[in-house]
Amino acid sequence: MFLALREMHRAKVRFGLLIVAIALLVFLILFQQSLQNGLLTSFVGGIRNQSAPVLVYSTDGQRFIQGSIITPDLEAEVRASGAVDEVSRIGQGTFTVAAGAETFDTSIVGYESLGAPERLSAGRAPNAPGEAIGADADIDQGFAIGDVVTVIPGGATLTIVGVATDVQLNAGPTLFVDYATYLEVVASVNPDAQTALPSVLGVSPAPGFSAADTTAALNALSPDLDALIRAEAADLAPGVDQIRQSFQIIFALYAIVVPCVTGLFFLIITFQKAAALTLLRALGAPARRLVSSLLFQAVLIVGGGYALGTALYYPVSQQRLGGIALRFETASVLGWAIALMVLGVGSSLIAARRVLRIDPVDATTGVGQ
Amino acid sequence: MNTADDPTQNHQTATAEQALVLDDVRKVYRMGDGHEVVALDRARLSVGSDEIVALVGPSGSGKTTLCSIAGGILSATSGRVIVGGRDITDYSERQLTAFRQDMVGFVFQSVNLVPFLTARENLLVVDEMGKRTGAAARRRADQLLDELGLGDRARNLPSQLSGGQRQRVAIGRALMNEPELVLFDEPTSALDTQLGEQVMEIIRTEMKSRQTAAIVVTHDERITQYCDRTVHITDGVLEA
Amino acid sequence: MRFALRELRRRPGRFATATVILTLIAILLMFLGSLLDGLIRSSTGAIRAQDGDVLVYSDASRASLARSLIDPGVRAEIESVPGVVDTGGVGLVQLGARVPGAGERDLAAVALFGVEIPPAGVPEVPPPGQVYADEVLRSDGIAIGTELLLGPARSPVEVIGFVTDTSFIGQGALWSDAATWREVLEQNRPGARVGDEVFQALLVRGDTDADGLAASIDTATGSTESLSITDAANALPGVEEQQGTFNQIIGVTLVIAVVVIGLFFALITVERTALYGVLKALGAHTSTLFAGLVAQAAVVTLIAAVIAAGALIALDAAIPPGGLPLDVTPERIIVSTVLLLIAAIAGCAFSLRRILKIDPASAIGSGS
Repeated sequence: MFLALREMHRAKVRFGLLIVAIALLVFLILFQQSLQNGLLTSFVGGIRNQSAPVLVYSTDGQRFIQGSIITPDLEAEVRASGAVDEVSRIGQGTFTVAAGAETFDTSIVGYESLGAPERLSAGRAPNAPGEAIGADADIDQGFAIGDVVTVIPGGATLTIVGVATDVQLNAGPTLFVDYATYLEVVASVNPDAQTALPSVLGVSPAPGFSAADTTAALNALSPDLDALIRAEAADLAPGVDQIRQSFQIIFALYAIVVPCVTGLFFLIITFQKAAALTLLRALGAPARRLVSSLLFQAVLIVGGGYALGTALYYPVSQQRLGGIALRFETASVLGWAIALMVLGVGSSLIAARRVLRIDPVDATTGVGQ
Repeated sequence: MNTADDPTQNHQTATAEQALVLDDVRKVYRMGDGHEVVALDRARLSVGSDEIVALVGPSGSGKTTLCSIAGGILSATSGRVIVGGRDITDYSERQLTAFRQDMVGFVFQSVNLVPFLTARENLLVVDEMGKRTGAAARRRADQLLDELGLGDRARNLPSQLSGGQRQRVAIGRALMNEPELVLFDEPTSALDTQLGEQVMEIIRTEMKSRQTAAIVVTHDERITQYCDRTVHITDGVLEA
Repeated sequence: MRFALRELRRRPGRFATATVILTLIAILLMFLGSLLDGLIRSSTGAIRAQDGDVLVYSDASRASLARSLIDPGVRAEIESVPGVVDTGGVGLVQLGARVPGAGERDLAAVALFGVEIPPAGVPEVPPPGQVYADEVLRSDGIAIGTELLLGPARSPVEVIGFVTDTSFIGQGALWSDAATWREVLEQNRPGARVGDEVFQALLVRGDTDADGLAASIDTATGSTESLSITDAANALPGVEEQQGTFNQIIGVTLVIAVVVIGLFFALITVERTALYGVLKALGAHTSTLFAGLVAQAAVVTLIAAVIAAGALIALDAAIPPGGLPLDVTPERIIVSTVLLLIAAIAGCAFSLRRILKIDPASAIGSGS
């Protein structure tokens, strides 16, 4: 260990650069991990964290709330089913909303009983027409408690009385209002429209039924019904899979690059100090000692890079990116630490193999020729 | 070379017969802590156009420095260096590189052939890095290999050659550019006595048949019998 | 340079690692690029196909067809703007379509456009109840003569022809006349019903430049947001975000390529320090040695790019139509290859200093 530390002390710049390179990679990985989770939450958080255990779409909606429409006869079939307890109409649309000095593509969700955010982080639930629950992530954009926003055209106003965490839809500002208010908003925007139909139904299972039992029973009622458990509805929403897949490609890429960088680095320095290593071997240093010194350096560098990368990541993880709230992902930080340590140290084994192959006899005949 | 640019053309007649003239050459290295080390002190040496000079001295005596200055790898701190009639004392880095391509040949201590090139290609490297004469260079390489007894080894990689054969390839490489002066840096140190003698035999034959001058750096007195003259060097000072 | 290439031929094994890593990176680069092209193409086709100069939305719509309404009064104002030659209403409704013979939960995602001016590729506005369909819908089993049932109301339309490259946000487009669109919209989206003669957007043909025309329309009406066709395509939800995200990933990938190539050739340079010393002593210029290194990097990169292009073309052929929206074009492959070559040369530049620093004197007296 003495040797390993001495060497790093003497070549601060070189080892420092590698640590910085690894730190940057770690930062990028963790940042993208936060970005992925933040992005997914901003797309489907409003599904995941609403209060209905089961959501019933129309097959026509293709698992997109805004594309789904529950016709009166379908609604009647669901209400008549023995598998359901409470049934709540949920309507959702995207509207242009003026908040502060700007306008936003805003998702407005109307609910009867089920379908509101499960927990509020501040404020209260609406108890009068024209009141709304906003999302934590949108507070700075003019959606804080007490703010009044305007739906345009039409000019319907909504007052925010409560906020909840992770309840956005479609990666933009999101508001939850009671169903009657929702219908008024729809009518205010397009006076030609007939009364809007609910987009989906929020359902709680009847006593004795699990959520899975209820979805199975409802799906058996009609091919036009598409009942999904809350978590499924979030995971199967259009786009969620594509986001996951693209990020997986990116993560796989990083997981290849980290060992490439550390492996090549240790190979280079092993080559550069071949003469010194040969001399040490000739002086009687066991090969194992030299290898463990190299692995010790690898651990220190990956560990140091990881710590630095996490330190860079922490302040960024507290930020908001557009409409997406990032957060410090402790599980990812730990998981990647283990994965990168294994990959980084594993790749330095190639250099270790070269150290093992050094023949001390070369010290007497001139090295490397 | 355009002699009109050459500030030393007056010297040329005086030194035309000499392959190398070192006139009061000093080389001083400034160390990291500011103090100076004199590697070569007021060296005066001239080598005739077909003379083989042995340069003998213990390690650290300055023979490598002398060799590097004569070969245009290092610049002298003061004094004049004239090789084949050209005064290279004030040459720039770029001029020295061109000078090395044209005027001198090197045979290094550790043979230093390009490991992934055949014997013939190792000779052609000199042309590739320099004049790029193409066909003429290929003819010369074949001729040199024949003369060095390597005609049937032309397509072998260095790893397929014996130590003596490799050293002969290195000699061939040094002769590719028809140099005025060839510098041998411990040419036999990696060889056993018998092989070493054979190689020195070849060196002598090749130099004499081409009327080319050579300096052979060595610390082995036995080698000196193949040379016309021996110069000793100790602590940077030459003694004839 | 010739010797550098000879080394590649004699010792391919030395360069195998770098080639494999670079091939992976090249595949990734080309895959990401083609995916981006495919996504953008399948998002914007229907807008790009509009046979006009400017699309006019209502000003609160944020360039979204679904939220935009243009009533006959506004249309009349627009038509009186100097430079406007012709106008055509545009309407859209996105629905699931039931295809005869497909499973009852197996819907094709379609975007039904009602138009007055036919888009590029459609000869004329079809009669009521009939539509031209985008080619991508063939993978859903749609053919000429197929009767599709649209949305929960099962509104029937008959396919009478096909048109290419008119997808809208990943959905295949159906092109109908305005009346059919209005009827399907009312039956399936009563909440979005529009009055007779009301459209969601107006396509304008003009005789001046598109941007200028858009500006004068907005000034004249005071209630519209007009965009050139290109701007309207870029304003679709997700288009700019996708481009931004993908280009960032492509950028990071290139940086990684620079690092990998840089490290690899730094390693090769370190191994060759003694050799370069000898070659310098023999009169080689740093530029000659560096050119050899760059030549090797370029060849390795080109080999990687060729393998990657082959792999991508094979992948494209293997993906069933209607699957991943991969758009493999020669332009993308060439652009990716050129970017990778630049990355390779940039990576080599890390080694330039090292080669510069090699002292020819090191060749002499080594070991003494």
